[in-house]
Amino acid sequence: MTELILQAIYSGLLAGGVYALLSLGLALIFGTMRIINLAHGELVLLAAYFAYTLETRAGFHPLAAIPLALLLVCACSLAVYFLVSRIRVQGGQRELHTLMLTFAIGIILTNTILLIWSADVRATATQGLQVPLQVGVFYSMWSEIIFFGISLVLVAGLWWWLSRSWYGRAVRAVSSNREAAKLMGINPHRTEWISFLIAGVLATFAGVAIYSSGVIFPSLGHALTIKAFIISVLAGVGSIPGILAAALLIGVTEALTVTLFSSALQEMTGMVLFLLVLFVLPNGLFGAAARRG
Amino acid sequence: MKFISKPIQILTILLCPFWFAAAHADEIKVGAHLSLSGATARAGSGFLEGMKVAEEMFNAASKKHKIKLVVIDDESVPAKAVSAVEKLAAEGVVGIVGGYGSNVIGPASDMAEKFGLTYLTAGGVSDELTKRGHKHFFRLNNNPGYERGVMTLFEELKVKSVSIVYSTKEAPAKLAIGVEKAAQAKGIKVAMHPFDPAITDFKPVINKIRVIDKPEVILMSGYENDYVGIIRAAKVLKPQVKAMIGMWSLATTKMSSEFPDLMTNVIGSTMFAQPMVFTKPQDKRFAETYQRMYAKEVDYQAQFGFTKAELLFEAVTRAADKGALKKGGLSEELRKTDRDTFIGRVTFDEYGDNPNFRLRMGQHQGGKVVVVSPRADSTGAIVYPGVPW
Repeated sequence: MTELILQAIYSGLLAGGVYALLSLGLALIFGTMRIINLAHGELVLLAAYFAYTLETRAGFHPLAAIPLALLLVCACSLAVYFLVSRIRVQGGQRELHTLMLTFAIGIILTNTILLIWSADVRATATQGLQVPLQVGVFYSMWSEIIFFGISLVLVAGLWWWLSRSWYGRAVRAVSSNREAAKLMGINPHRTEWISFLIAGVLATFAGVAIYSSGVIFPSLGHALTIKAFIISVLAGVGSIPGILAAALLIGVTEALTVTLFSSALQEMTGMVLFLLVLFVLPNGLFGAAARRG
Repeated sequence: MKFISKPIQILTILLCPFWFAAAHADEIKVGAHLSLSGATARAGSGFLEGMKVAEEMFNAASKKHKIKLVVIDDESVPAKAVSAVEKLAAEGVVGIVGGYGSNVIGPASDMAEKFGLTYLTAGGVSDELTKRGHKHFFRLNNNPGYERGVMTLFEELKVKSVSIVYSTKEAPAKLAIGVEKAAQAKGIKVAMHPFDPAITDFKPVINKIRVIDKPEVILMSGYENDYVGIIRAAKVLKPQVKAMIGMWSLATTKMSSEFPDLMTNVIGSTMFAQPMVFTKPQDKRFAETYQRMYAKEVDYQAQFGFTKAELLFEAVTRAADKGALKKGGLSEELRKTDRDTFIGRVTFDEYGDNPNFRLRMGQHQGGKVVVVSPRADSTGAIVYPGVPW
């Protein structure tokens, strides 16, 4: 049983790394603009499909496909921002309108993916990524290790950018009080589109990570958005280390549920954990701590 | 015209539009709701390809009747499928070719029954579908057909223990439970591992099988994305099993071309060895038309789509010839079906089920699918023990 539990924790941590990548972009936009980008999962999926195309048509290694995928996904992310910002200016019930708009964009993206790439299931054929790696009782694929490392680097990079760089501080200022930030000479629009741009970068890495380790199909985007949303709320708004912690917690909890109980309960356990944490800490794991501090 | 009297001239002019209308009135609308988007879009798209081929071939061959296929995307959502059936009924279709997934087909065919519309499907295997007492519901495939295929393989391989990894979706779950009962009745040790359809990492499940169950074979009941995840996890953990066996959508050349590293020696249900060889003239015509329309190799979903559309079109023709099409005669005619098709002999029992449905089991070998069970139908020797790693 110890072997099973150790492997479950290991698998859960690796899955949590990808979950963190998946959630960072959504959390960043939510933190900056109070917008839940319901098209985020579809942007992640777009990166995955683009990597698939570059791999099958041009022989690109999925990792080598990242720079070109970045261009496409960042452009799409900025297009989402453009549409959202128009609604925000024109609308009264901004939150509801942006929610509906991003949901609609998600549907459009899903169907575009379906039209271009068909409904077939896709996965990478690059053998190097699938090679099993065994260290003692721990089993994984190389792709999981690589993207876990990338995830840690990106989390650290984003945390540094938000806390140390001028633009990062501007993002936090706009997130905290948009009008006050304006008075301080910060251009909220620029800050917001930079947030969407970075969310696009994060979505690209997440998409290629999912493509490299798992399976992609057009209807996956919605499930990715839900997962990212749960982790973002669980972490608490504005906490980058919180995202990593929440993602790892969800990953490990899911894997342990499969090992100790049943894989049929995996998703439910994640939701129960989510509700439980929100019940005890309404601002999320790290959001509450920050406020108390 | 001077030889024709004035009243006859007027009558002829007045009746002309009706004559033209009558000449085109035999275009018969047949409806279809298919999952062209959403979770089961792959299956829906495959069905549609076969159905469009059936429509093309039927219209090319029939001078008296023309079929117009009216297709609505149900987005793999039961509520959308119900709306689709309502819309199709409003458009005046005479019958409906059903979609994919028992959870979708159930409510959609309930609605079709309310309208008295004949409903033929090849995408729902749940036993409950034929226990509702519907008069207009028909289907080509069923769980017992899949179970028979798997159990025959187990008997031929003398399997003593199996771990069944299955999706909690209705159809794969019911199939898994059916196989569990049948296997236990034969004295085979069975361990069940249900999984949530949203699961992506199967390593914890496979690890339990590797460390605790230690079965001879792993049976997978799910869909393409599940199979890829399960086999990939098994390749990492390498459980000491003799075979990886799956159900629908697995033993196809598409899977071997898309996932060559994962499919070697994997066994799945199939109708034929693949690539398929078409020998009968009708089958050759189908293959040629399919190639012309889609420029790719025929897959089994297209065959199922073709067969259900073809049988419904034939019944429509018979009912129309008897003038019974609008009097509920289509279901009566469809029930009389008794012929060989791509998927074997088709007849319908009192519940609308096809009791002849039985699948073979095929193994991925060198990019092809070789029929390995039942032995009497095999097109090659089974590799056993044989796993993808």
